[in-house]
Amino acid sequence: MMDTGERNKPSRGRGKRTIFKEIGRGFQFVISHTTIGPLSVLALIYVIFTISTLGTFTSLENIQVIFSLSGLLAIMALGSSLVILIGAIDLSLEGVMAISSMICGLLLKNPINSADFGFLVLPIVMAIGAVIGFVNGVIITKVKIPSFMVTLGMGYATLGLAVIIGKGATIQILDNRLQTLANGDIIGIPYITLVAVALLVITMAIQRRTALGKYIFAIGGNETLAQMAGIRIDRVKIIVFTISGCLYGIGSFFLVSRLLASSTMISTGYLFPSITAAVVGGTALSGGIGGALNAFIGALVVTGVNNGMVLLNVNPYAVGAVNGILLIIAVALTIDRKKIGIIK
Amino acid sequence: MGMGNGPVIEMRRISKSFPGVRALDSVDFTVHGNEIVGLVGENGAGKSTLMKILIGLYRQDSGELVIRNETIDLLDPKTAVNLGVGMVFQEGSLLPNLTVAENLFLRHERSFRKNGFLSQKKMNEEAGRQLEKTGMKIDPGMFVRDIPAAERQMIEITRLLWLSRISGVDNPVLILDEPTTVLVSDEIERLFGIMRELKTDSSIIFISHRLEEVLEISDRIVIFKDGRNVEELKADGAEIHKVEQSMVGRELAEDHYKESEQKEPMENVCLEVRGLEKEGSFEPVSFKLKKGEILSLVGVLGSGKEEVCRCIAGISRADRGHIEVTGKRVKISTPKDAIKAGIGYIPIDRRDEGLALQMDVCSNITLVTLHSMISCGLINLGRERDEAMHWVRQLNIKTPSLKTQCMSLSGGNQQKIVLSKWLAGNVNVLLLDHPTRGIDVGAKEEIYKRIRVLAAEGLAIIVMSDTLEEDIGLSNRMIVMRDGRITREIYCPSDGKPKPVDIITYMV
Repeated sequence: MMDTGERNKPSRGRGKRTIFKEIGRGFQFVISHTTIGPLSVLALIYVIFTISTLGTFTSLENIQVIFSLSGLLAIMALGSSLVILIGAIDLSLEGVMAISSMICGLLLKNPINSADFGFLVLPIVMAIGAVIGFVNGVIITKVKIPSFMVTLGMGYATLGLAVIIGKGATIQILDNRLQTLANGDIIGIPYITLVAVALLVITMAIQRRTALGKYIFAIGGNETLAQMAGIRIDRVKIIVFTISGCLYGIGSFFLVSRLLASSTMISTGYLFPSITAAVVGGTALSGGIGGALNAFIGALVVTGVNNGMVLLNVNPYAVGAVNGILLIIAVALTIDRKKIGIIK
Repeated sequence: MGMGNGPVIEMRRISKSFPGVRALDSVDFTVHGNEIVGLVGENGAGKSTLMKILIGLYRQDSGELVIRNETIDLLDPKTAVNLGVGMVFQEGSLLPNLTVAENLFLRHERSFRKNGFLSQKKMNEEAGRQLEKTGMKIDPGMFVRDIPAAERQMIEITRLLWLSRISGVDNPVLILDEPTTVLVSDEIERLFGIMRELKTDSSIIFISHRLEEVLEISDRIVIFKDGRNVEELKADGAEIHKVEQSMVGRELAEDHYKESEQKEPMENVCLEVRGLEKEGSFEPVSFKLKKGEILSLVGVLGSGKEEVCRCIAGISRADRGHIEVTGKRVKISTPKDAIKAGIGYIPIDRRDEGLALQMDVCSNITLVTLHSMISCGLINLGRERDEAMHWVRQLNIKTPSLKTQCMSLSGGNQQKIVLSKWLAGNVNVLLLDHPTRGIDVGAKEEIYKRIRVLAAEGLAIIVMSDTLEEDIGLSNRMIVMRDGRITREIYCPSDGKPKPVDIITYMV
C-alpha cells in the first residue's frame, strides 16, 4: 500500500536527458510487459539469427523445423507454466514422460507383444500422466511438502518404474500411422504445431474464462488472500498438477511417434528446456504472472535459439551454456522479489 | 536522578512521510545521560517510526539527529549500534537455532579465534561473564529456542550492552519496545530492577502501552499524538489520568465520524456469539450483534480482540463455543465456511491478505462471487465486467480501467476494492480490521461514510480501529477486552458519546 509515491513526479530533466529517460521508460515498459516483453525478445532473436545465418534461419524449411520442434516443447511448457503460475514447480516431467512412453511402446503395434491400440493409446497415456500429476498434487497439499521435493522424487520414482516395465529395452513402433502424425502437415503447418496451438487455446480459455483460471492466478499472486476468499486452494493445486501431468502424457505420445520408438531415455533432457520455455516466455517463478501464451512464446524462443546455434555450428556444450544463461536472465527479469523475503 | 546530565541523543524537528500518511511532523525528542524516558502514544502516533529512524532502519525526510553533540547521518542499523544505540524488538531478533553465546557474539566471532578456529569455550566463558552483568544465570551453550521469552529479552539487552562496550561508547542508549507484554508480574519487577541498575551507565527509552508501568519506571515521559509532540512531563507526581488525556487528545471535531448519520440498530439479531473460547488467547466471550449495528471491539495488543475476530472469520479455529448467523447455528472452521455463512472479513494487511496485487481491479472485485457468474463452465465476461463496474461506481474507486493492476492504485482505493469484494459477496456481517490504517484523511472520510451507509442498509459490522476516538465515533456499542476477557460493554449513541478517558480504565 505504500508504493504509489513514486508516480506522477514531474520530470525536470531537459533536452537529451528527457529523451534518454523516455527511451529508458519505454524500454522498461517493453521489458516488464508480460507478453510484449517476451515477444520482442522472440523477434530480436529471430532477426539476429536470420542475419547471422544469411537467411537460412528463416527459410521455409527451417521455419517448419522450428515449428515442429517447438510444438512438442510448447505442449510440455504449457504444463510446466501452469504449475509455476501457482508458485510451485514440477520436476517430474522426465519421469512421467518416460513411463508414458514405455506404455505407448507396449500398447502400440510392436515386435514384443501383440498389442495394437493405435490412437487409443493417446487417452491412455493422458490418463497415466494425469494420475501421476494427481498423486503429486495430493502429496504436496495433504502431506504439505514443497513441490520441488515431491516432484523430484516422483520424477525418479516413475523413471525407475519405466525401466522395470520396459526392462530397459528400446521398443520399436510398427504403426505407420504414427509416422504420418509425426511428419505430416496441413498446408505446410506440422500436425504437432496444430495440436500445440489447440492445447494453447484450451489452456488460455481455462485461464481467462473459467473460475479455475482466476483461482490459479489468485493463488499464485497471494495464497493467503486466496484462502480468505474461500478458494479451496488444495483442490486447485491438485487440479493444476493433474492437468500438467496430462499434458506431459500428450507430449510423450508425440515424442514416441516422432522417433517411432520408445525407451526410458526418450525424455531425458526435456525438463530443462520446458521450464526455460515457461520462464523465458515471461512466467514469473514467484507465481501469478504469465501463462499459456507465454509458455508458447517461450518455446519458440528456446527452440529458435537452439536451432540457430546448430545452424551456426556452435559447439553443443556452448549451446547448453547459452540455455542456462538464458534461464537465469529470464528469472531475474520476471521474478517478484517482494514475495520472496530472503532468497536462499 | 541523572537528569542533570547532558543530552546523549537529540532529535530535532524530525519529519517522515509515507505515501498517504504523515507519520512524523517536526518532532523533537531528547534523551539525557543516565535517564529512562517513557515514550507513549496511541497506535500510529509515530513512536515506532521515530525509533526506527533512531536505529537507522528508516531515514527521516527532514530534521537533524545529534548523538553526543555530533550531527549524525545514520545510514544503517550497524552504524547506530556502533554509536551505542540499539533496540530490543517486540518480536525479538535472536536466532532460535543458535546458542545463547552464538547469538550474543553474532558477527563478532573474530575475537574468539584460537589457532584460526573459533573457540566455543572462550565464547561461552565470555558469554557467561556478560550475562552475569545483566543478572542472568543461564547456560550460554543452550539453544535460544529452549529459552523462555522473558529471558530472551534479557539476552538481547546483554548483546546490545556488549556491543556498545566493545565499540567503546559511554552511556549507550537502549530502546525497549513493549518489553513487558510477554512478561508476568514478577518478571516485570525483575526487568525493572535491571533497568534501574543499567541506568547507572546507560539510558533507556521505554515504550509501553501500560501507563502505570511507564509512570513507575521512567524519569520523564514524552507523549506523541498523530506524529506530533503533545506533551512532556516529569514522571514524578504525574497522574495517569493526565497522561491518558494528552494521549487521546482534544475533544472530537464536529461530525468527523459522520455521527449525525448514525442510526439505531434494527430489532433482529444478525450475529450471535456464544461462549466462544480459544485457550491461550481469550476466555469464553458471548455477545449479540443486531442488523445495522456497528460494534467496536476495543482493547490493547494482546487483549484477545484480534483473535476473537479471526475466529469469527474462520481464519483461526475456536476451541469451544458457537456462532449463530440470523438465528441459524453455523460451523465455522475455514474462511470458506465464514463466507458461506455470510461473514466477510477485511484484513488489516491489504498487501498480505486483502488483494492479489498483480491481478486487475475486475478480477479482485469478483473473486469471491465468481462462481455465480459462470454459465456452461465459462465465466460470463459481460456479467463480470458489469458487476465490477457497479462497485467501482458505487464506491467511487479511482482507477484508469477495470484492467488496471491493483498494485498501481493508492492505498485508499485498494482498501475500497477489498471492501467491494466482500460487498459483492452479499455478506450479512462485515468484520473490519483497522479499516483506515495507512490511508489519507480524505479516503478515511469516504470509508466512514460508506460504513454508515452499509449499516443503514442492514449490515451488521464489527470494527477494530486504530484509535479509540475512531472506535467511539463510529460505533453504536463497544465491547472492551483486557487479557482475553470482556471487561465492559459501553453504548455510544450519537448524542452521548463516551470520553476516551472513561474507556481506557477498562483497557489497561
